[in-house]
Amino acid sequence: MNNQLKLSLFMKNIYLLLISLMTTFYGFSQKTINGTVSDDQGPLPGATIIIQGSSTGVTTDFDGNYSIEASEGDVLEFSYIGMEGQTVTVGSQDTIDVVMASSTELQEVIVTGYGTSSREKFTGAVAVISAETLEMQPSATFQSALQGAAPGLQVVSNDGAPGAGISIRVRGIGSISSSNEPLYVIDGMPITSGSLSTTDFSNGGRSSNVLGSINPNDIESLVVLKDAASTAIYGSRGANGVVLITTKSGKAGDPKFTLRARYGTQEFAYDGILRGLNSTQYKQLHYEGYIARGTSPDAARELFANQFPLNDAGQNYNTIWLDEMTQTGVVQEYDFSFSGGSEKVTYFGSANYFDNDGMVKNNKFERFSSRLNIDAQLTDRFKVSNNVNISTFDQRGITDGTRWQAPFYLAYLMAPTVPVYDQFGRFYGDHKNFFMGGNNPVGHLYDDRRELSQMRLTDVFEVSYEIMEGLTIKSDWSFDLLKVDEYLYQNGRYGDGRRIGGYANEGGISQTNWLGTQSIQFTPQDTGNHNMNFFAAYEAQKVMTRTIELTGEGFSHPDLKYAASAANPTTAYSARSDYAFQSYFARANYDYNSEYFLSMSFRRDGSSRFGPDQRWGTFGSIGVGWNMTRLIESVAFVDFLKLRGSFGTTGNAGIGNFDWAGLWGFTRDYDGNPGAAPSQVSNNLLTWESQENFNIGIDATFLNNRITLNAEYFERLSSDLLLDRPLSLTTGFTSVAQNIGDMKNSGIEIDLGIDIIQTSEAFLGVNFNTTTLKNEITYLPEPIVVSTKKREQGRDFQEYFLFPWAGVDPANGDPLWYLVNSDGTINYNSTTNRVGETERVYMEGKSATPDFYGGFNLNASYKDFSLGMTFNYSFGNYLYFNPGWVIHGDGRFTPRSTTTYAFNNRWTTPGQAAEFPKHRWGGNQSSNQRPNSRYLYEGDYVRLKSLNLSYDVPTDLFGNIGINQFKVYLDMNNIWTWTKADNLPFDPDQAIDGIYNTMTPLSKTTSLGVTIGF
Amino acid sequence: MNKMKNILQRSFLLVLSISLISCADDFLDLQPQQNISNEAFLQTFDDFNTAVLGLHDQLQGGGNAALYGRYTLLVPDVMGEDVKQNASANRAKEWAEYNGSETDFIPEDIWREFYEAINIANSVINSEFDAGADLAADLNTLKGQAYGIRGLAYFMLCNFYAQPYSFSAGAGHAGVPIVLEFDFQNKPARSTVSEVYAQVISDLNQAVTLITTSQKNAGYFSKAAAEALLSRVYLYMEDWSNAEAKATSVINNYGYSLVSRDLYPTQFIDGLSSEAIFEMIYNTTDNTGSNHIGGMYKVTGYGDYLPSNDWYALMEDGDIRRTMITYDSNLIGDFAKAPLGPARVDKWPSEGPLNGTDNVSVIRLSEVYLNRAEARANLGNDAGAQADVDIIRQRANPGIAAVTATGAALMTEVYNERRAELAFEGHRIFDINRRKQSLARVLDCTSVPEACNLSYPNNLFILPIPDGEVNSNEEIAQNPGY
Repeated sequence: MNNQLKLSLFMKNIYLLLISLMTTFYGFSQKTINGTVSDDQGPLPGATIIIQGSSTGVTTDFDGNYSIEASEGDVLEFSYIGMEGQTVTVGSQDTIDVVMASSTELQEVIVTGYGTSSREKFTGAVAVISAETLEMQPSATFQSALQGAAPGLQVVSNDGAPGAGISIRVRGIGSISSSNEPLYVIDGMPITSGSLSTTDFSNGGRSSNVLGSINPNDIESLVVLKDAASTAIYGSRGANGVVLITTKSGKAGDPKFTLRARYGTQEFAYDGILRGLNSTQYKQLHYEGYIARGTSPDAARELFANQFPLNDAGQNYNTIWLDEMTQTGVVQEYDFSFSGGSEKVTYFGSANYFDNDGMVKNNKFERFSSRLNIDAQLTDRFKVSNNVNISTFDQRGITDGTRWQAPFYLAYLMAPTVPVYDQFGRFYGDHKNFFMGGNNPVGHLYDDRRELSQMRLTDVFEVSYEIMEGLTIKSDWSFDLLKVDEYLYQNGRYGDGRRIGGYANEGGISQTNWLGTQSIQFTPQDTGNHNMNFFAAYEAQKVMTRTIELTGEGFSHPDLKYAASAANPTTAYSARSDYAFQSYFARANYDYNSEYFLSMSFRRDGSSRFGPDQRWGTFGSIGVGWNMTRLIESVAFVDFLKLRGSFGTTGNAGIGNFDWAGLWGFTRDYDGNPGAAPSQVSNNLLTWESQENFNIGIDATFLNNRITLNAEYFERLSSDLLLDRPLSLTTGFTSVAQNIGDMKNSGIEIDLGIDIIQTSEAFLGVNFNTTTLKNEITYLPEPIVVSTKKREQGRDFQEYFLFPWAGVDPANGDPLWYLVNSDGTINYNSTTNRVGETERVYMEGKSATPDFYGGFNLNASYKDFSLGMTFNYSFGNYLYFNPGWVIHGDGRFTPRSTTTYAFNNRWTTPGQAAEFPKHRWGGNQSSNQRPNSRYLYEGDYVRLKSLNLSYDVPTDLFGNIGINQFKVYLDMNNIWTWTKADNLPFDPDQAIDGIYNTMTPLSKTTSLGVTIGF
Repeated sequence: MNKMKNILQRSFLLVLSISLISCADDFLDLQPQQNISNEAFLQTFDDFNTAVLGLHDQLQGGGNAALYGRYTLLVPDVMGEDVKQNASANRAKEWAEYNGSETDFIPEDIWREFYEAINIANSVINSEFDAGADLAADLNTLKGQAYGIRGLAYFMLCNFYAQPYSFSAGAGHAGVPIVLEFDFQNKPARSTVSEVYAQVISDLNQAVTLITTSQKNAGYFSKAAAEALLSRVYLYMEDWSNAEAKATSVINNYGYSLVSRDLYPTQFIDGLSSEAIFEMIYNTTDNTGSNHIGGMYKVTGYGDYLPSNDWYALMEDGDIRRTMITYDSNLIGDFAKAPLGPARVDKWPSEGPLNGTDNVSVIRLSEVYLNRAEARANLGNDAGAQADVDIIRQRANPGIAAVTATGAALMTEVYNERRAELAFEGHRIFDINRRKQSLARVLDCTSVPEACNLSYPNNLFILPIPDGEVNSNEEIAQNPGY
């Protein structure tokens, strides 16, 4: 009731405002104007003609003709996507013909939150990624195209497996424990992103990605909103930036068909990945490790002989596990699309098949997707559109990370003396009682299962009605339906399922996400040089998630693999969790003569995720711009210059659904009866993290638009950060969620493009972008140690806090540690071989946060050939080899193997200066104490992310069969990588937190493709 | 203008009405569906019952099974001489080698999980509820179980994190914090050992008073369990006469009886035997698999720990307890070499679908006899002590002669019998420390030479206060040596 009251008052105010504005500006008197709109190729069907300051508009027919009622003195605005807009003032003439020219970047329409604008007019900071950039990526998800493509975006691959997730940070990390991922909005609907998985399939959320449903070829543009002027309209969900995805739509005209086909192969992108030992090396380490423990050489030899089988020739097996598990990957994609329409109805449709067989055997991602977008002008005032996308994918994955089945973990830890197959041709498992549970990493890929299937239906329906010129109401109803099915199976003969006769885990998640947005848009007319528009809306969204999962153990036959056949159904789990948002928001844009710009936005958001006392939050922004072009007309080399600035607040509601509540949990049972225990401390005061964003930017073009420069300075001040504040463990809890931290991200973004050669036959352009980033925790009452990092006021959020490794004692092969001075700095003059005598310290500012990152690209064309190259880079960040303590553990885990790098660099003889300590089963005293700086590496790298060479076959070769485009191309991705650390043992493209966890390495793809248009 | 105004008004009403469709009062007022809020719980008798079952479940331990599921038994034994470490050991390695630090997960998990148990118990004890006359006795029993388990938790915390009661006169040295009410901002300092023991005795006595309904089975905390634990508590306090009195009460008053030699191994497999007083029930829904204490020893489990020659040599041929082992030819090093080869502990042997379902004893009648034997020996009642030792020893090995030793020699017999009988059940380092003995790993101690001999008093006989507590509670004092 309270909300209804607020709503009606709010609407009433808007209404009064609109009425008063209309009575001020409304006026009329008319005649008919006819004409033709064309470009250098001929007539343009579907061009729009609008009377400036009104919403009266028409579009041209198939022959480019139009007819419009206008008054003398009216200004007609001619526009067409990709063309520079023109204005003509109506005089005495009755015919106005217009020839349009391709637009510059400045005039291009860009999609913004709940509207559109142009670079010329917009006061916010955005990054725009075009469809062409997307097409160069043979990737399951459009997100990988964002890497290096625009300043302000840090994009990393969490996992190189087919269909795996990708992380994006817009202008740094703004939250400590809430989500840092941007909001994804497709055709106006905020959709579910990230990982949706109930079983272990996702490997901690890294290996699955619900956005894998989206066909990148369907995307017309990607716009990333970065500052408050652009994101505040998303209120409590705008703090991490917003990725706006706009799908393609049809244009009036004859049907156009496009067929794309691509086939490519994949191998490891990074040449420096670790290699496992061969059997000779392993045998040597095996003896060495026991002898170092005090075992006699004879006993050590006997043990080795007892443990490992011999082949028919009486020799040890020599299995190079990495080679056995991997293959050349294949990626193929076929995409068919059609578009066109009449004056009243336009359409775009597509069908897509994408298939990626990964570099790990039996690891794959396969997607089918189709889309139909329709826009219909039903009457002069009534317009509807519907965009529907149905997509399904099947993913077969692997156990990844640091577990006993993980291929990129076991590749090093499995002894090469264990064979792949046994005498019956089955996968070998007889080592189960003495070696890592009998896990066979190749067998795991065949005898075990890890599968995920997703179905997704996204529908965005919109109806709008023009009440009068300049006043339109719109109603959007959107649905995003997701269904995920997962299946895990571990065989009962060897590996993790061996003790229980096999294990199956089946799970399913279904999610229903609906959104209703009711909005009104008003553009006052005949306002002279004062241009303005107003927008207000009410929105409600609810997301309902249902999860079921069951597990079973004990299978009587190797072909029985599903839980239904399990002798012992062990767990049945179900969960229901819902959240809802309810919002009111509005925006006003004003400009004077396209020289001075002002925009304001406001949003009031309510969310079920917060306690009853803290349910509502208010957010807003103000942006200003000044087009100085006229002021500096005399400066010949400057074509355009604009200054802009914005300030505003947004929020981050990316937390769990009931984090505020004091709860008892019921996941326990004792003696077959249900039990309960307190599971969460209540905090009714829990509220949004809020963020103040400050941005100033400059947009300029020089030398006839051949040089474009865009530079920004930004500050993100995040406050009320939600933090799991540690509690005394004597309370029975480890932490409580509280709003207690502040953090600041600041930096500079530069995007510079130069068209070096621009002739009718040849083009050469380069573009360079970089982002500097400084992160500082500005308020935190108590430091918090989290894994390899320590969060402390005044420091970078991602600073490493480790035991200081001092190398190896040449005298005896012992690990050495630096002592620590009383001020917490490393004392490089004293070492100890007992880790207990030193302590963890900050690594002199070494952090997972890069100093700067970005990309550069080159585009060249000559006649029908074109070449595109995109590089991305990151400098100043550090990476941590998390399972280093096991893989490079100096024998700590008997009798696990290691890498050739460790073998070649270990200490063996007194006096030797070695990188790694001596090998001893059971380990040297704390040589692999966690977490220590021995496993920290410089993360600086530059990578040639894509190289695209294409040739447009002249279409007259095909005669008159209707083919108007025939492009063949070669795409190469991740083909060259430079790293600063020459001993970096893993791919430099790692998770945002810098932690490498033996996930699947990234691939290098070489593909050939063809695009045919007819 | 009027016409336009009408259009406008109508359109706004339209927008408004569409908006209100989804604007119901409770749109944002969603409730969790898997949990119950604090305000809505402990409002019925069944809620109390559910919470006390949750408390029993807590004693098994959480994700790492740090309590009776695994580490509460394992750690005191790997710190002693009756268990040796396999070269491939990973889990309690630092504690077996006396090289642990406060950042290790074991001291943190044991600490946290016992305090989680205390928090559940406090919720039950402190919640006012009138169950009505019919259920009053049952509710009292539930509260008594909460008191009893809270007492057990404080006792075990003291054993792990504080020097023993006998360490200083009057036990005025640092114990653990006593928390009797929930306050999430509480940052308590450590009480003295004497204060904690007073709390333990008070809680266990409350349990004896409040628990009136009969025990469903040994899986549930009972009046007898409270008295049996009191016999151990008084023993640790060197209050010999109370220890003897409590032990005698348990032996005489509750109808427990020792299982026969033939059935001896089955008491660990089937559980709920005639001598089980309080034990943790494990079944397939607990799904502990190899994370069960048995998996720490078995070749088919993690197999991290092995029986030592020191332990094997305590017994003679024909002793049933010596047969609860298996042989593993893949072992190499200084472990028990029983007649057929290197041995592994097989006290909790279930395999296959039943892997990890063996019950785990918290206290059983055998220990109560041995508690009394030790109390009687210290009281000078040698005949009584001899009789108690004989009951246990001759049950395991009927052919063996009765104990004739007296005085110090008898004391050694009592001590050794306790090692033989209660091996791998989580007693050893506590017994060494409270008796002010030194640790000597006598036979074949080569793999970690620096951990072969440790003398009393020793900072490393107890665990450090975990990092997680020290970092969040500035009032807590760390143990010396860490």
